[in-house]
Amino acid sequence: MGAVWLQTVANWLNFAAERMPELWFLTGQHLVLTGVSTGLAIAIGLPFGILASTRQWLRATVLGSIGVFQTVPSLAMLAILLALVGKIGAVPAIIALTIYALLPIVRNTVTGIEGVPPEVVEAARGIGMTRLQQLIKVQLPLAMPVIIAGIRTAAVVGVGIATLSAFIGAGGLGQFINRGLALSNMQLILLGALPAALLAMLVDGVIAATAWGMEPVRQRDKHSLKVRLKPVALVMPLLLVALGMYAAFGSSLIAANHPGKTIRIGSKNFTEQLILGELMAQMIEAHTDLVVDRRFNLGGTMICHEALAAGEIDLYAEYTGTGLVTVLKRPVESDANSVFNMVRTEYKKQFNLEWLEPFGFNNTYALTVRKSDARDKVWQTISDLATSADTLRAGFTAEFSERADGYPGVRKAYGFGFAKVHDLEPSLMYQAVANGEVDVICAFTTDGRIAAYDLQPLDDNRRFFPPYFAAPVIRSDFLQHHFEVRGVLARLAGVLDDKTMQRLNFEVDEKGRHPDEVARDFLRKQGLLNRN
Amino acid sequence: MIVLEGVSKSFDGGQSYAVRELSLHVNDGETLVLLGSSGCGKTTTLKMINRLIEPTSGTIHVDGQDVTKQDPAVLRRTIGYVFQGIGLFPHYRVTQNVEIVPRLVGWPANKRRRRVREVLELVGLPPDEFSGRFPDELSGGQQQRIGVARALAADPKYLLMDEPFGALDAITRDSLQQELKSLSKSLGKTTVFVTHDIFEALTLADRIAVMHDGRLQQVDTPQKVLTDPASPFVRELFEKPARQLAAFQGGD
Repeated sequence: MGAVWLQTVANWLNFAAERMPELWFLTGQHLVLTGVSTGLAIAIGLPFGILASTRQWLRATVLGSIGVFQTVPSLAMLAILLALVGKIGAVPAIIALTIYALLPIVRNTVTGIEGVPPEVVEAARGIGMTRLQQLIKVQLPLAMPVIIAGIRTAAVVGVGIATLSAFIGAGGLGQFINRGLALSNMQLILLGALPAALLAMLVDGVIAATAWGMEPVRQRDKHSLKVRLKPVALVMPLLLVALGMYAAFGSSLIAANHPGKTIRIGSKNFTEQLILGELMAQMIEAHTDLVVDRRFNLGGTMICHEALAAGEIDLYAEYTGTGLVTVLKRPVESDANSVFNMVRTEYKKQFNLEWLEPFGFNNTYALTVRKSDARDKVWQTISDLATSADTLRAGFTAEFSERADGYPGVRKAYGFGFAKVHDLEPSLMYQAVANGEVDVICAFTTDGRIAAYDLQPLDDNRRFFPPYFAAPVIRSDFLQHHFEVRGVLARLAGVLDDKTMQRLNFEVDEKGRHPDEVARDFLRKQGLLNRN
Repeated sequence: MIVLEGVSKSFDGGQSYAVRELSLHVNDGETLVLLGSSGCGKTTTLKMINRLIEPTSGTIHVDGQDVTKQDPAVLRRTIGYVFQGIGLFPHYRVTQNVEIVPRLVGWPANKRRRRVREVLELVGLPPDEFSGRFPDELSGGQQQRIGVARALAADPKYLLMDEPFGALDAITRDSLQQELKSLSKSLGKTTVFVTHDIFEALTLADRIAVMHDGRLQQVDTPQKVLTDPASPFVRELFEKPARQLAAFQGGD
């Protein structure tokens, strides 16, 4: 038992050691994100806190409105900012982090100033200090310990929330976590999570040490050893900032900039998207002079779409149904060709974006059961479930339970519902049905685990689920300057059917191989990397 | 000279008065004690002199000038103030606490340094030992000595003292009273001293102003207040401790 545990730790340390340069770089980015946003929050929050402490009504207004910002979920905040700023990367991330850091700083500034003993304030007034002198010479210095406590809270929370910045391509340790979550790779998740936790403690400690270093020396401690450490404590934050800057900006990992010669390819944060991103990236690298900047693992459809529309990325793979329903907000439709034509014309018209030839597979939802059940009970279509539906337990993703083209629509289209519906994580869903904990799940038709767990997707006999054919979506402006890309991506058209995509996903999800490796093997076998 | 004429103060828009129609003058160089029980308006009166509280009606002149015509912060720097709660700045060392008013009025550093040593000696705290300490490294009596030193630092002509020894133990209080008495004699400051302690008033005052319910009852020398009380309240005020003292001595 103990030996197994030790082996796991040793494996992980090896794994971490291999990724040391990247870890170093992302830690630096993380520090810069947190540092800049905390600094901004201090610069904005302190004046607001001071202002709020002067008038009762201001206090309520300021704290109230900052509190409202605080309640916006982090991912929603990032998505909103992305839409407002029109950029992915550090700018929206820093704005979001700054907004979250404001509340503890403003609140503690108000509390600190209000906590100054009234007799001290009256003394300041009584000896002839002006309002400003009272504030600067007496109230702020005495409120400082409380304010610093607020800054510590803000910085520590900031280190935590900064992990989400990876969703909008701002980098940081969240990138490991994101990638790990997308690939269900615990080692990768830990490679982001552990250093983030350590970083939070380090940042907290450094700020505390700085505050201690700034405290004046008491007469009685004048000659103690502690006093000699104070200058050291004061240098620590400078060291931390320098370290962060050095790691983030001094790294050789930053791709040299070739203006006009780079293509920025995005992807959402799940396995299939990473593979598609790699397929496109490697084809472009093999057949053009363009340098590929991989902006993978962006946090969802809207973030990818906004980034593409804003020209922050040039290309990513989207699904026709998603483009129709999520982006264009059109009603669900089942005919594959009309959906593709619709998104192609509307994207061109509304966003000046171009849909290229689809890859071939259709990654739609499929109600999926155990193969053994399908055989025993002769289930082939969704309609076949109707008679036993009131005894069946379903396990759906939270998204599927809610979406119009998910469970609510299925009930309407087929006229029955299941006895019980559990909300499950996508990664747990397949296991749950295989282990008999639920009977029906909403699998993705290209998920490798359908085959791996011996599952059977049921035929959508009423043509309810909309088609989700994946295709490259690219900026028309970019295509005009680099028309060669169209031809290169056209070679990927139709090469992936459902079974092939299932297999590639399986290689990554279950065998733990890297998406870039899986993509390269596939392209080689198909001869797509050869010049023709 | 400090002159109050027909001064009234209401905190609730005229429904009740903390100070009512008070007229009083404090002569140059004298110590006037405002005496009365809590809530009688003595502290309110004191705070109106340096505009910590604004009067509802009436006028106050300090040194011949209407206080309401002056910038309150500038006015307060010319009037030394010793607070009931001492009110030393806890984040300042003794030196910084004492030199704060000279600093506010812009004295050069070497003049300030000299002055800090001077006033610290004046209040009986050797500068070499005390100037680097923080208030929480001082006893209560030492803290209030610093409070007095701070009030004296810019060498103001006027001193306002709001029950400065109220929180100290009897022995410390007594010695500080004696020192203050000789100090104000030698320095010749015009002082207004607020207290509810009759013996403190008798010890320090050149004249005592007795207040009750916001009204001035009598202003006179300690001797006259004792022997010739102007109202039944004043008589009662001084008779009671005299009776207690007599009873105590009788029972001995």
